[in-house]
Amino acid sequence: MADKALSFSLADFFFNDSPDVLTPPSDFQSWFEHPKIRSAMGLFGQQLLAAPRAGTEVLSSLDGKRHKVINMTSYNYLGLSTHPEVIQAAKEALDLYGLGASGAPLLSGTFDLHVEFARRLAQFKEKEDCLLFSSGLGGNVGAIQGLLRKGDIFVLDEKCHKSLIDGGTLSGAKMLFFSHNDPASLEQMLEKCKGKRVLVAFEGVYSMDGDLARLPEIMKVCAHYKAATYIDEAHSTLMFGRNGRGVAEHFGLEHEIGMSFGTLSKSFGGVGGFVCSNARIIAYLKGYSSPWNFSCAPSPPVVAGMMKALEVATRDSTLRDALWKNVAYLKKGLLDLKLDLGRSESQVIPIIIGSSGEKLIQFAYEIQRRGLFLQPVDFPAVPADARRFRISVSSQFTQEQMDTALTIIEDVIAKGLRA
Amino acid sequence: MTKEAVIEVIKKNIAANSDDIDAAGIDPQKSMKDYGANSLDMIEVVSTSMRELKIKVPRSELTDLNNIDQLADKFLEYVNKGNG
Repeated sequence: MADKALSFSLADFFFNDSPDVLTPPSDFQSWFEHPKIRSAMGLFGQQLLAAPRAGTEVLSSLDGKRHKVINMTSYNYLGLSTHPEVIQAAKEALDLYGLGASGAPLLSGTFDLHVEFARRLAQFKEKEDCLLFSSGLGGNVGAIQGLLRKGDIFVLDEKCHKSLIDGGTLSGAKMLFFSHNDPASLEQMLEKCKGKRVLVAFEGVYSMDGDLARLPEIMKVCAHYKAATYIDEAHSTLMFGRNGRGVAEHFGLEHEIGMSFGTLSKSFGGVGGFVCSNARIIAYLKGYSSPWNFSCAPSPPVVAGMMKALEVATRDSTLRDALWKNVAYLKKGLLDLKLDLGRSESQVIPIIIGSSGEKLIQFAYEIQRRGLFLQPVDFPAVPADARRFRISVSSQFTQEQMDTALTIIEDVIAKGLRA
Repeated sequence: MTKEAVIEVIKKNIAANSDDIDAAGIDPQKSMKDYGANSLDMIEVVSTSMRELKIKVPRSELTDLNNIDQLADKFLEYVNKGNG
């Protein structure tokens, strides 16, 4: 194990043979304490010392000191977590309502703010009703676990987020995965499900690759088999479509989608999740979705801030336009460096470096030393032959920040890959 | 241990992980995906097989394999090395 520690990953220690449940697998500890693994792990969980703006500060694991960095890792796509109007709305709500909701939604946790925000989200997504969750992960888990039962079939794109898989596992439904964005593979799966209750899930923008769902083709197959549909627009809400409603709007198919999920931690700059659908199923979900009815309702000041964020992001297209301008500029710069950006079509831009875990970690430390906070994504989160960095573009990036980042990426990654 | 014995262990665990597959009917030239296994099923089959064979193969070495036969070759390599 010691000589090949870098060949192993967290994927290798999931099953634990230790007789004591409170003791990790015997070989996990020696792997985890190996100097190369310790060094690699040091990159993760580094502390931010300021707001997740395009320019921020981190407590670096390089030397344990504060460093000013250009931040290309946070999901603050539209800069709304620090927008002055958003902060002001949250401050006012904090004074009025206090910090927490102090109750589950069915008992005492529902405030006028929650009802109003849910109403506005449903109106925004052009659905009848909306259910608001305290976390994005909880929203997907809660919706799927609340909708499906043993005997049902949950068909997912193989690149769907863990929260959808966890919801499926909890529901007891049989799960079938179709090849990524492949309508023919989806058709094969649905052919096996005839006579069963089926839900098909896919994402608007896939989080590790930044590609879009091939929605017209996928929806055509679902319609043919009369399968219910669920779209996860975590990385596309407020950014895609003429009105920012997401990838379903972008393709003109939002009214065909059965249930639409979004997170509030990315473009909205807060935290939480929501699903929008017909009013009858939302009422039903309230009875059976555990992350909704057994969890404290979202924090009122955060809800007030996000309600303002929705208003700011949709009153005109200023923030979206700034984002897409930055995406185009960075993409061109990266392509000029002959880097492999996969099939990115969004503000999520991977820089795929290949199979070497050692190179990935070496580059990650070097770019941070140079002042760029761009986190690596390693196996098993991505395939072992496609380890990568993942840029989250923000509307906040300035030309100067992007040029500096491109120079660092050229010096460290592009030149390093050629060496 | 022979390759046939390794294949038998894998087949047994595929069947144990599925309601409608009989171990005798599994063709090693096919992949687990051909038998309807999803990625979670595959992790389960690989983990239980490795546990039984007392080996530990990094997952990163399994990602390029195309069928059960190739998985058995990889497992056998580690069985012969006596690598736990």
